[in-house]
Amino acid sequence: MIEFLKILCKLFIFPGFLFLSVYSFLLDFLDRKLYARMQNRVGPPWYQPLADFLKLIGKKTIIPADANAVIFSVMPLVSLAAVTVGFIYLPVLGKEAIFSFSGDFVIVLYLLAIPPLAAFLAGWYSRAVYSTIGATRILTQMFAYEVPLFISVLAPTLIAGTWSITELTGFYAAHPLYIFINLPVAITALISFQCKLERAPFDSPEAETEIVSGALVEYSGRLLAFFKLAHNCELLFVISLFSAIYLPFMTGIIWVDFILYIVKTLFILLLLILMRVTMARIEINNTLNFCWKYLAPVTLGQVILNLLLRGVL
Amino acid sequence: MNREEAIVNSICGRFPFLADRIYIQKDKRIFTKSLLREEFEQVIAYVHDELNFTRVSHVVGTDDGENLGLLYIFSGSEDILLILRESVPKSNPVIKSISDMYPSIVLHERELVDLFGVVVEGLPEGPHYPLPDGWPEGNYPMRKEWNPKHFNKDTMTYEEPQEKEVQKNE
Amino acid sequence: MSENISNNNKIVLPIGPQHPSLDEPGRFDITLEGEKVVNAVVGVGYNHRGLEKVCESKNYIQDLYIIERVCGICSHSHSTAFCMAVEELAGVTVPQRAEYIRVVVAELERLHSHLLWLGVACHEIGFDTMFMYTWRDREKVLDVLATVGGNRVNYGINTIGGVRRDFNETINSEILKTVDSLEEDIKRYLEIAMTETTLISRLKSKGKLSHEDALKYGAVGPVARAAGIAIDIRVTEPYGAYKEIPVNVITDTNEDVYGRTAVRILEMQESINIIRYCINNMPEGTLTVKVPRRIPAGEVIVRVEAPRGEDIHYLRSNGTDIPDRVRVRAPTEANWHGMKHMLKGGNLADVPITIAAIDPCYSCTDRAIVISSEKNTEVMDWRGLRRYGIDWYKKQNIDLTSLKIKEV
Repeated sequence: MIEFLKILCKLFIFPGFLFLSVYSFLLDFLDRKLYARMQNRVGPPWYQPLADFLKLIGKKTIIPADANAVIFSVMPLVSLAAVTVGFIYLPVLGKEAIFSFSGDFVIVLYLLAIPPLAAFLAGWYSRAVYSTIGATRILTQMFAYEVPLFISVLAPTLIAGTWSITELTGFYAAHPLYIFINLPVAITALISFQCKLERAPFDSPEAETEIVSGALVEYSGRLLAFFKLAHNCELLFVISLFSAIYLPFMTGIIWVDFILYIVKTLFILLLLILMRVTMARIEINNTLNFCWKYLAPVTLGQVILNLLLRGVL
Repeated sequence: MNREEAIVNSICGRFPFLADRIYIQKDKRIFTKSLLREEFEQVIAYVHDELNFTRVSHVVGTDDGENLGLLYIFSGSEDILLILRESVPKSNPVIKSISDMYPSIVLHERELVDLFGVVVEGLPEGPHYPLPDGWPEGNYPMRKEWNPKHFNKDTMTYEEPQEKEVQKNE
Repeated sequence: MSENISNNNKIVLPIGPQHPSLDEPGRFDITLEGEKVVNAVVGVGYNHRGLEKVCESKNYIQDLYIIERVCGICSHSHSTAFCMAVEELAGVTVPQRAEYIRVVVAELERLHSHLLWLGVACHEIGFDTMFMYTWRDREKVLDVLATVGGNRVNYGINTIGGVRRDFNETINSEILKTVDSLEEDIKRYLEIAMTETTLISRLKSKGKLSHEDALKYGAVGPVARAAGIAIDIRVTEPYGAYKEIPVNVITDTNEDVYGRTAVRILEMQESINIIRYCINNMPEGTLTVKVPRRIPAGEVIVRVEAPRGEDIHYLRSNGTDIPDRVRVRAPTEANWHGMKHMLKGGNLADVPITIAAIDPCYSCTDRAIVISSEKNTEVMDWRGLRRYGIDWYKKQNIDLTSLKIKEV
C-alpha cells in the first residue's frame, strides 16, 4: 500500500505532474524575463505565467460554430497528456526516471510528436483561414525537423547500445568523456528542439504578423489555458530530454544531482533564449531547406561516426 | 530660353489653340486654363508620349460653382510639374479615365467619384474609396453645397433644411 | 470563414482591417495558392476624416492645426507644406532663422519616422529584439522634439510666416548630444542590416519594384530611391533652407525591401549631418513675419520631402481668410499604386514586410470628414465640450457650474 502511495506521489507530485507544471511555469517566467531584459525591457513579474493561466481558466470558452467541437475541445488535453506521460520516463531526481523499461526511448519520441500533431488537428478543425494556414505550417515544419531531431537524439544510443533513457544516462554518466563525441548532434538537436518548440527564429507556424497566432487563433478561455500549459510543459520536457542525453554529468548523490539538473535546464534555456533573441523569423520554406541541407547531413555523419566508434570503443 | 518655356513652346506648336491658355506660373510650374474634353485627350496623349511626362502625381478636384474643375498634375524626368485643367458641368460630370495610360491615377479617380460625384468612364472595378460602403447615393461631400451639418449620421440621410435664410444667419 | 476556402485550393486571406501587422486600419485581401500570393486587393479608406472639407470652413490659422493632424508621424512636413503654400500666396518671405529651425525639426522628424519604421519592419519579420532597440533609441529623438516643441508628435513649431519657438544654447547642445549618440546607434543598425543573415534572407528580393515599375506607378520617397530613382524634393526642388544646405540623395539599386531599409538607415545618417550643419550655421534674426489674415486670390502647388516621400499640397485662395480648396497628396497615397504589383508572386510571409516597406500611413492617405458612420459620435464645439464635461461631472456628484471659465 505504502509502495503504491509512493508511486502515486512520484507520479503526481514530485517529480511528476505537479513538479512539471510548477517548474515549467518558472521556466516560462525566466524565458520571458530574460528575453525582455535582453531586449532592454523590464519584463513580467515572477507570477505572471501563473496569473495568465488562472486568468484564462476564468475566461469564457468560445467554440466556433464551424469547428468540430469534439476535436476542438479534446486536443488541448491530448497535448498536455502526451507531455505529462513522456515526462515520467525522463530522469529528473538522480539517474533514474520514475518509470523506465528497455524501449522507453521510442515511446518518448512518439509522445514528443503528439503536441504538434494536436495543434495541427486543433487548427485544422477550427475551420478558420488563419488557423488552417497555421496548421499547414505546423505540419510542414514537422517534416523539416523530425528527421534531424530523431537522428540526432538516436545517435548517442548507438554508442551506449541501449534504448532506455535511464540506461543511456547511466552509461554516459559512467563514461563522461564519450559525451564530447556527440557534440555535433547536441548542436543539431538544440536547433531542432527550437524548431519543434516553434520559437523564434522558427516561429512561422504562429507568426503573429502574418497569420495572427496560427493554429490556435480560435482558442480561448480554458482550452487555450491548457494549450499554453502543454506548451510550457513541452519546453521543460524537451529541455530535460536534452540534458538527459547530452549533459548526463552526475555525482551519484541524489539531491546534488537534482540541483545539477536544475542548473543544466537553466543553461539550456539560456541557449534557447539566445537563439530566440538574436534572429529574425525564418520563412517556412527556408526552414525546410535549412533542416534538410545542413542539419540532416550533420546528423547522418554522426550516425556513421558512432557506428564506427562502437566497434572501437 | 529655359526648360519651362521650351515645354510650353512645344505644346503650343502642336496645339495652337492652347497658346493663350497655357502659362508658366513660376519655376517648375506650368498651368493651363480649362480645356475641353477632346482637347484634353489630345494634349494628354502628346505630353505622355512625346514630352515624357510619364508620372501623374495627383488629380485635384475643385468646386467652381457651376462646374467642377479637375487639375491633373503630371511630372516627368525633368521634375517640372505640368498642370492640365479640365472642367465639367456639375449637371453632367462625365470624364474618361486615363488609367490605361497612367495606372497610378486609379485611387485619385475613385476619390473624384466618391467625393465630387464625377462619373469616370473606363475606371476599373474596385472597392469604394474613400467613403464607406453603404454611403447614400447622391451625397458628394466635397461639393460646396453639401453641408455636413445637414447629414444625419444615424440614418445616413442628407436633409436640406426648408428655410435657407435661417441657415445663413447661423 | 469556410467561404474563404474555395475548391481549387485557393485561400483568400484577409489581412485587416484589424490585424497585428497593421498599425492602422487598411484591408488587404490576399489570395493564396499554398504559401504563394497570386492576387492582392488593396482597400484603404478606413481613416477618412474629411479634413479637407473642414479646412474649407475654417480660417488659415485654424487650418494649420488641422493640417498638422493629417498624420501623426510626418505632422511637421504637412504643416510646413501648408505654411509654404500660404506664404507664397501672401507673397511674404520667411526669416532665414525660421527656415533653419523648420529644417532642423523636419530632419529630427525624419530620424524619428525612420527609426519607427525600422522597428516596425523588424517586428514584421519577427525580429523583436531589433524592434525594441530601435524604439528605445527613437525615444531620444522624441525627447528632443518634446523639448523643442513641447509635444512628442505634433510639435506645433510652424506658424504662417515663420516658427513659433526659438532655439537657444540649451536646446542646441541637447540636439547635438542626441544626434551624436544616435550616430553610434545607426552605425550599429547598419552593421546588423549588413551582416545578420536571417534579416537579410527576409529582406533581399522581397517586394520587388523595378526602376521602370517605380516610374510607372509613380512611387516616391525611399521606395523610389531604392529603385535607383534619384528623386528627393530637398535636392530636385529645394525649398526653405535646403537651398543652402548640402544634401546628398541616397539611392540604392536593390529595388527591394532590403534596398528600402538601406536607404532609410543611410538617410538617417544624412539627416544627422544636416542637423549638425543647421545648428552650426544658424543665422540670427527674427522668427516670424506678419502675414495678412486675408490671403490674396490665387492657387499654388507646393512640394515637400516628408520622411515617407514627396508631399504635395494644393491650395486655392479666393481672397478671403478662408481657403477655397485645400488638397493634400500624402506620400503614401502615391506608393499604394505599386503595392499590388509588389505583393504578387511573393510568399505569404513577405506580405507584412512588403506592406510595411512603403511605410504606409493610412491616415495620411485617407486624410480627413467629420462624418463617422459609427453611432453615438458627434462633433462638438468648445462650448459643447465644456457643457458635456460639466454634465459628466454632475453625474459623478461634482458640481463645476460655479467655476468661471473664460468663454472662447
